Amino acid sequence: MDKDFTSRRRRELIIAAFFAALAATVPLFVKDVYIQNIMVLTLMYAALSQAWNILSGYCGQISLGHALYFGLGAYTTALLFTKFGVLPWFGMLAGGVISAVIAMALGYPCFRLGGHYFSIATIVIAEIALVLFQNWDWAGAALGIDIPIHRDSWLTFQFTRSKLPYFYFALVLACIAWLVTWWLEDSKWGYWWRAVKDNPSAAESLGVDVFNSKMGAAAVSAFLTAIGGSFYAQFVSYIDPESVMGFQFSLLMALPAVLGGIGTLWGPVLGAVILIPLTELTRSYIGGSGRGVDLIVYGLMIVLISLARPQGLVGLFSVSKKAVSR
Amino acid sequence: MTAETIIQSLASGLLMGLLYGLIAVGLALIFGLMDVVNFAHGEFLMIAMYATFFLFAYVSIDPLLAAPLVAAGLFVFGALVYLFVVRFAVRAKANAGMVQIFSTFGLAIVMRGLAQFFFTPDYRSIAHSWLGGKTISVAGIFLPEPQLVGALVAIAAFIGLYFFIHRTDFGRALEATREDAGAVALVGIDKNRVFALGWGLGAGLVGLAGAIMAVFFYIYPDVGASFALIAYVTVALGGFGSVFGAFAGGIIVGLVEATTAMILPPSLKSVGVYAVYLLVVFIRPRGLFGSM
Amino acid sequence: MKISRRNVLLGATAAAALGPIASRADTPEVAIGVIYPLSGSSAQIGVDAQKAFETAAEIINKDYDFKLPLAKGEGLPGLGGAKIKLVFADHQADPQKGRAETERLITQEKVCAVVGTYQSAVAVTVSQTCERYQIPFLSADNSSPSLHRRGLKYYFRASPHDEMFSKAMFDFFDALRKKGQKIETLSLFHEDTIFGTDSANAQSKLATERGYKIVSDIKYRANSPSLTAEVQQLKAADADVLMPSSYTTDAILLVKTMAELGYRPKNIMAQDAGFSEKALYDAVGDKLEGVISRGSFSLDLAEKRPMVGMINEMYKAKSGKDFNDYTSRQFMGLILMAEAINRAKSTDGDKIREALAATDIPGDVTIMPWMRVKYDEMGQNNDADPVLLQYLGGKFVTIAPQRVAVSEAVWPMPSK
Repeated sequence: MDKDFTSRRRRELIIAAFFAALAATVPLFVKDVYIQNIMVLTLMYAALSQAWNILSGYCGQISLGHALYFGLGAYTTALLFTKFGVLPWFGMLAGGVISAVIAMALGYPCFRLGGHYFSIATIVIAEIALVLFQNWDWAGAALGIDIPIHRDSWLTFQFTRSKLPYFYFALVLACIAWLVTWWLEDSKWGYWWRAVKDNPSAAESLGVDVFNSKMGAAAVSAFLTAIGGSFYAQFVSYIDPESVMGFQFSLLMALPAVLGGIGTLWGPVLGAVILIPLTELTRSYIGGSGRGVDLIVYGLMIVLISLARPQGLVGLFSVSKKAVSR
Repeated sequence: MTAETIIQSLASGLLMGLLYGLIAVGLALIFGLMDVVNFAHGEFLMIAMYATFFLFAYVSIDPLLAAPLVAAGLFVFGALVYLFVVRFAVRAKANAGMVQIFSTFGLAIVMRGLAQFFFTPDYRSIAHSWLGGKTISVAGIFLPEPQLVGALVAIAAFIGLYFFIHRTDFGRALEATREDAGAVALVGIDKNRVFALGWGLGAGLVGLAGAIMAVFFYIYPDVGASFALIAYVTVALGGFGSVFGAFAGGIIVGLVEATTAMILPPSLKSVGVYAVYLLVVFIRPRGLFGSM
Repeated sequence: MKISRRNVLLGATAAAALGPIASRADTPEVAIGVIYPLSGSSAQIGVDAQKAFETAAEIINKDYDFKLPLAKGEGLPGLGGAKIKLVFADHQADPQKGRAETERLITQEKVCAVVGTYQSAVAVTVSQTCERYQIPFLSADNSSPSLHRRGLKYYFRASPHDEMFSKAMFDFFDALRKKGQKIETLSLFHEDTIFGTDSANAQSKLATERGYKIVSDIKYRANSPSLTAEVQQLKAADADVLMPSSYTTDAILLVKTMAELGYRPKNIMAQDAGFSEKALYDAVGDKLEGVISRGSFSLDLAEKRPMVGMINEMYKAKSGKDFNDYTSRQFMGLILMAEAINRAKSTDGDKIREALAATDIPGDVTIMPWMRVKYDEMGQNNDADPVLLQYLGGKFVTIAPQRVAVSEAVWPMPSK
């Protein structure tokens, strides 16, 4: 079994490398900035959902408040840059670290809560942060932060027209999130989480340190989410509380993983690749009618996928994979 | 701040709180029955408000008279949602929790889209109804009639629900099903029928709340969103599944909201409610009245 | 000229390929992007806007005898009679989506200009994107004063911003004071997004400068389930004037809650938004007799300029509503943009920008009560005089400024 496991993992890595390489070449053929924009968002959501999946999928703590970490990342970068001239690359790290620390501080009381109580606590905490930012004058309050654009530069991570730098950054971020997940699957934590998810009390009695492993998951997940937020701030170059900390972001981060396959390595990627282009295209090409048809299509799709493939779309592929491994 | 303002705030908070309780109780009932959080709860409220509006606008039925009709309509709607959506969601073998959350969430988006499609995004409201804009004034304290009636309906609904669950056959079937769905099947109770009726009842209660809300609130496709989060917090605060908890939770949320607005800038009043929720669950991880 | 020639070519090719079906494509088209919230919680605004823009496009594209730029004759004479084609996009009130849609409009739909956006937060990213692509952006109805102060070259706004609006209100107060009315205290009531915040900032600044006392400054969360606590504080303060900055939903709830709590403000001076929406007056119009709202449009201008009434009828036929403060500005926004494109004789972004910058149109050939349209170096039209409208006997009448007023203000507001 061990040998099977090792070879499966190596195969996953090769497949991932193949897809990453493939994705990297796409912009060579696709020059349309609108499509490139969709690709950037797809990769960003793949990364965010992968990060969410670490805490919620693998560790089983369903968070519906990840917008908090996303927003913290975005705000840290934007504030450090506009107020103190700190380059976004450092802001990104700072945002990640702040988020990870806050995630652990919040995890301390919250991880005692079960199921829905935990999920609602995460929603409520993110909402509190949103309202506070909305009222925090120094951080721009409702006016938000407009990141002035001067000229293309990797140093300030600003590009006026080209989407390519953002695309490659998002690709790298998605790859890192994937690799972290891949690595965690086979780590001590990974085993612990599986044990905790299957049966928390039994795991505890076997000496698994449930609490610390949850804290670890929260920190890693928040760190990666905050990097995504920093990226978003640079990408959009304007942030306001509602657009980076709103509840809808928490759901948007969870959706790809849920539809693709929660707690799986490929679920978030697959979910994002299907969901994000569909959301964008329906809005752009049928949303202009002003009659809400895009919402109907989008909502129906969520209902149908979650009912028809409760284990996620990734299940569609696993059958053939099993056949191969046999 | 005078004593009068404080009493007025608390009185308004109490009335609003009872209404929150009425909005949330359906959610608590459904959760207690089958461990499902209905993420389309706010949209149920929206549909009820539209139903009340159209009954008023086209058939001139006053919202007060329309309330039972709307509740009945929502009952059917809730049962249908169970039979056509939720039934399949709870059947899911893998990660049923997420499937439930997201199938009802998807449903919520569809309902908003449909409302925009059929009713247009225009803001509607009922201009002249029996209760609308009327107020009772007691010693300088104003008690708006719509909210007052809403509060009375909420209390009546809670009492009715209490007797219903404890004194009727169906209520007992509900209780039994929630305790052990497998065992009731053995004694010949059709689980699906009980669940469908439970969803109907939960939706019917929102229907009641929606009919009263329509008197003093505006109506548009996204109106449910304003109330959904409050309803979840109310239910969780009281303890998931506890009907009495939703009642108590509603009152607490209403009062905390009113009190926070007296102490902090009003834009932070929801923060007070959220903070109280966190405080309660940190001390009692299953809410005030949730089973331990 | 380059692009227009390509358009002609494209049109010709398409016509050749599709035959009679595409006969429309015979005349060249000028695509203008129109970006609004068409779904989500402010979809109503977007849907009404769509109708206003369609009315404007119809007037440009067909022959009408109005004293309005481009009304006479079909299409844009400067571009060989080219027709205006509107491309609508939905930003769902999200700055990121606004940016992405603007990019799509510019790169895929090849629009030569963009008009938008209702929400100021979205206007930030839309105008920034236009700047990057050197495509002019006309902010039809955003009123946040920060928008034109960001040093953007391609940003234009013909209508007033919140500081101008608020100044008009305080000018009006000052005038009343001179006449011996007692106006000492003010209550501000504003929502917590960019619109309410900007508006309240402008108002508190003016209040301090001109010696009015703000007795309560209430910021509330937009779309709150209840405004009871907020109204109690307003009632306790009972200022001489209540100055709300609220969108429609909150405005309806505010007025209903005030009535329920027995609070009748001595006077209401509203910062437009919800207070110019028909939905509010349908709901609670009877409680609003005498309310004053700032605006940039007033229907009673039709008495002096008959075309205002006729154009309003055209819009009404499409939407079932009269022009309001938003839809009139949207309508005018497209006319002004098209007028500049026509003068530029080109669909090149820079040329249109130059034409916009050179705009100088007297106010009486618009449907607005403005002095004229002439943009300053930041793209702001400072001659767009705001008006104050009072809701009397079921409709709005203009009460200030003197130049366009049709009746005296009823002050204090009638108490029933």
